[in-house]
Amino acid sequence: MITVENLRKSYGELQILKGISTQISHQEVVVLIGPSGSGKSTFLRCLNGLEKTTNGKIEIAGMELTNPETNIHDLRQHVGMCFQQFNLFKHLTIMENITIGPMKVLKKSKAESEQIARELLKKVGLQNKEQDYPDQLSGGQQQRVAIARALAMKPKVMLFDEPTSALNPEMVGEVLNVMSDLAHEGMTMVIVTHEMGFAREVGDRVLFLDDGYLVEEGTPVEIFERPKEERTKNFLAKVL
Amino acid sequence: MQVVLENLPQILEGLKFTVYYSIVAIILAVIFGLIAALMKLSKSSVLSGFASVYIEVFRSTPLLVQLFFIVFGLTGLLPLNEWFGQRSYPIIAATITLALHEGAYISEIIRAGIQGVDRGQKEAAASIGMTEFLTMRYIVLPQAFKRMIPPLVNQSAQTIKDTSLLAPIGIIDLVYRGQIVIATTFEPFAIWLTIGLIYFILIFSVSQFAGYLERRLQLDNR
Ligand SMILES: Nc1ncnc2c1ncn2[C@@H]1O[C@H](COP(=O)(O)OP(=O)(O)OP(=O)(O)O)[C@@H](O)[C@H]1O
Ligand SMILES: [Mg+2]
Repeated sequence: MITVENLRKSYGELQILKGISTQISHQEVVVLIGPSGSGKSTFLRCLNGLEKTTNGKIEIAGMELTNPETNIHDLRQHVGMCFQQFNLFKHLTIMENITIGPMKVLKKSKAESEQIARELLKKVGLQNKEQDYPDQLSGGQQQRVAIARALAMKPKVMLFDEPTSALNPEMVGEVLNVMSDLAHEGMTMVIVTHEMGFAREVGDRVLFLDDGYLVEEGTPVEIFERPKEERTKNFLAKVL
Repeated sequence: MQVVLENLPQILEGLKFTVYYSIVAIILAVIFGLIAALMKLSKSSVLSGFASVYIEVFRSTPLLVQLFFIVFGLTGLLPLNEWFGQRSYPIIAATITLALHEGAYISEIIRAGIQGVDRGQKEAAASIGMTEFLTMRYIVLPQAFKRMIPPLVNQSAQTIKDTSLLAPIGIIDLVYRGQIVIATTFEPFAIWLTIGLIYFILIFSVSQFAGYLERRLQLDNR
């Protein structure tokens, strides 16, 4: 589903990603962990072209993202993303937040888009919030709407960048539950998170990033219980 | 007082034109300003260069000189009076010049408004496959416009003031009418006072309205 070959990213002289290669298969749930500033967000944002790669090759769902001839907007329809700060469209209602993609990008009718939105709102447990504005919702609710907004495009892959980091602790669970459901339905997911319990439970594979290198990857059991690399051990000692 | 009352219909006739030129100029200025702002923010250095030249030229020269130059100066170069009509060219040219002048300021208001929209909003729009155009149209501009309304209303007040410079180039407005009335009544004090008062009422209400909008928009900060 996703192939990353020798991905490099620099800001001017500053190298952020220093040659990352990995493959993510259909329906796989991959969790990205690593210290702050290690390049997790940058890596994720390269996967939907929000950051331009400096070097290397990324292929998603048969489309080569790093090929300048690929239409990036078409590709992004297939790659959903959820942000740490939710980024719901402030001036639109919850319903409009979800329908704007299907209507304006996929050119579906209003009725059909609203139908999709209602089903998704039901799925994330917010069917009675259609006419509210984002700032009337709690953080956890906003993040669930953001997930619904991404799903409305029927993506093949979902990217999550610390989706629960900006939430009060009591709201973390409701968002993680929606994400687990999604994983169980077979969505291909790449998740940056500090929720190690969730990573262990839902992840098929864990990637440990440090200083722009993919230091170690393996199943949750391999990474959390038998890490091979010194850097992985040090990091886990701090966070577990 | 008697003089003012007797000539009030004449003066109000002038006011009608002032209001009319203000409205047309503001509408055109928002269109010019929006185009210039989008050009200035575009990736093309040619477009943004053009926009910068336009903005700087119109902000760094006096409106009166711009009016004289375009209304009278250009006719020395091109037979504009023949093309557009002896009577209508000055009116068309003056209105457009006024709009270009205000548009230069408005483009900066719009640009600041666009740049003030949270980057996360654009990224979220991009992440669901929206093109730059769709993002601008449905996400950035609607949010930017809310923020821009108070400064735009203020600029409208400024535009009303600036229409008074149409009189020196011979276009009928409040000031022009006033001068005619004075020429026949020899009552400069009463007439200028009346005209000043009319401008004050007009412009003061517009800027009060801007202040009101600003407070309103702060309340429901969406
Ligand atoms: N636009 C930019 N210009 C310059 N440097 C940047 C830019 N964006 C990110 N960086 C740098 O890239 C490095 C990696 O950032 P990134 O956000 O990918 O880290 P992260 O692993 O997601 O960290 P965190 O856990 O804090 O979110 C950081 O050192 C950051 O300062
Ligand atoms: Mg990050």
